[in-house]
Amino acid sequence: MKSRSSEIRRARPWLGTLVEIGAAGANAAAGIEAAFCEIETIHRLMSFHEVNSDVSRINRAAPGEIVRVDRRTYEVLGCAQLTSRLSAGAFDITVGGRLVEAGLLPRPQGAGDFDQDASYEDLLLLPDDSVTLTRHVWIDLGGIAKGYAVDRAVQVLKKSGITSGIVNAGGDLYVFGDRQPIHIRHPEDVSLVLPLGFIVNAAVASSSGCFALPASGGRANDPLIAPKRNIAVQWRKGFTVIARQCMIADALTKVIRLAPRRAPRILNRLRAQAIVTDRRGARISKSRVAVDPIGGFPDPARYRFGSASALASRIRKEIAV
Amino acid sequence: MRSSQWMWLPAAYVPIAILAPAAYGAAYLNVEQAQQAIFAGHKFTPAFVTLTADQAREIERRSDVNVRNREIQLWKVSNGGYFVVDEVVGKHEFITYAIGLNADGTVKQIEIMTYRESFGHEVRNPEWRAQFVGKSASAPLKLTRDIKNISGATLSCRHVADGVKRILATYEIALK
Repeated sequence: MKSRSSEIRRARPWLGTLVEIGAAGANAAAGIEAAFCEIETIHRLMSFHEVNSDVSRINRAAPGEIVRVDRRTYEVLGCAQLTSRLSAGAFDITVGGRLVEAGLLPRPQGAGDFDQDASYEDLLLLPDDSVTLTRHVWIDLGGIAKGYAVDRAVQVLKKSGITSGIVNAGGDLYVFGDRQPIHIRHPEDVSLVLPLGFIVNAAVASSSGCFALPASGGRANDPLIAPKRNIAVQWRKGFTVIARQCMIADALTKVIRLAPRRAPRILNRLRAQAIVTDRRGARISKSRVAVDPIGGFPDPARYRFGSASALASRIRKEIAV
Repeated sequence: MRSSQWMWLPAAYVPIAILAPAAYGAAYLNVEQAQQAIFAGHKFTPAFVTLTADQAREIERRSDVNVRNREIQLWKVSNGGYFVVDEVVGKHEFITYAIGLNADGTVKQIEIMTYRESFGHEVRNPEWRAQFVGKSASAPLKLTRDIKNISGATLSCRHVADGVKRILATYEIALK
C-alpha cells in the first residue's frame, strides 16, 4: 500500500453531521475546498429545513404544479423513485409528513397539510429536471442525500486531479485511488468498532440504532419510519451496505431494514452487498458487489463475533498481555 | 430473511475490535493552520475577550445556548473579519472548531480543528479536555489506535450548530 503520509484531512459540519474529506497529492487542499463547496450546494438544495431548498419548494407545491429543480436534486429523486419501486414502497421519501408528526422534523414553513394517503407514486418525474405531484406530499431526502453528496464530492476531487482520497459524511463514505481500512461500529456497543477490511473504489454506508439507544437499555427509537406501518422502527442490529455508489449504499441500508425479504434481490439488482450484524454474529448477502477486489476486500470470515461484553473482555485480556 | 439468500458466516476468529474510551479522535488543524484555511494570506491580531456576566446572560437569552466559558478566543483579521476558536462538548464527543466571520458578522467558514469521541466519564473532566486544545498534525493526539474511516451511526453536528449560534450572538453583543 502506498503511503498516505502526504494526505491531508479536513472536516466541516454539513448535512446535519460532520463531513470529513481526505486527499493526497499536490492539489489536495484546493480539491478539498472544491469538494466542500459541492457538499454545501447539495446541503442547500436538499435540506428539509432550508426554506429555499428544492425539497422545501416541492413540499410547498400544490398538486399539478410543475416544480423545476436542480439537475442534482433530480438525480437523487430518480434514484429514490427507483429504490421505492424495487422495494415496493419500503423505501419512500414521502415520509416527511410522518417524520414531522413524530417530532423528528420541524413543520415546513409555508406548506399546506400533507395528504395522509400520499406515497412515492404521487411524485412524478417529468422531463427537463421537473417534477409534479398528484397529492400534497412532504418529501425528506435524509435517507439518501448524504450518500449522493459523498458521490459528488468524490467526482469533484477527481476533477481537481486528486488520485486518492476518501469522503466520509457521518459514516457514509467512499474510498478511491488507494485502499483504506474501514471500521464499522458495533451495533450494540458504540464504544467498539469492528474492522471491515480494506476497500477501494467502493462506498460503505451503515445504519444502526446505537446512538439512539437510551442509556437505561430501554427500547431503541430512531428516525426511521416504516411508510406502510407508519411507525418509528425499533431495532438492535447493525446494517452495512457496500456498493459502487454511496447514494445506493445509503438508500439500501434503509431497504434491508424495512424489507429484509426483498432485500437480496434488490441488492443483486443494484450490485450491492449487505452485512447484517447482531449479537449472534454477522450475516452477509450472497449478492456480488462489483468492486475492485484489490486489498483483500472484505474477508467475510472476520465478521463473526460474540456478544459485546465477551468481545470486550477478550480485548482487555489481549491489551493486558 | 430466506436462508438461501443470507448466509451465516463461518466462525473463524474474533476480529481485533477496538475498545473505546478515549480511543477515537482526529486532529485536523492547529490555530495557525485554521486561520490560513479560513482567511488565507491575512494577518491576525489576538483580541481575547472576557464576557461580563450580563453579556453572557444576554447571549444565552438570544441564542438559547448555555455560555460555558466566558473567555472568547478571538482574533481580529486584517480584512476586517473575525476568527474565533471555540469548543463544544456533546454527550459522547468533544469538538474544537474555528469559525471565521466576515466584517459584517456573517459566517465565512467553519473548520473542525480536533474531534474526540468518548464513551466514558472523562469527557466532562476539564483536565481531560484541556489536553486537546491547540493540538495539531505535528503534535497529534495520543490515540490508542489509529482508527480512521468509521462507518456507523451518524453523529449529529447539533452541538457545533449550537456553538455557532452562540458565537453569532456573542458577535452581536460583545464584538461588534
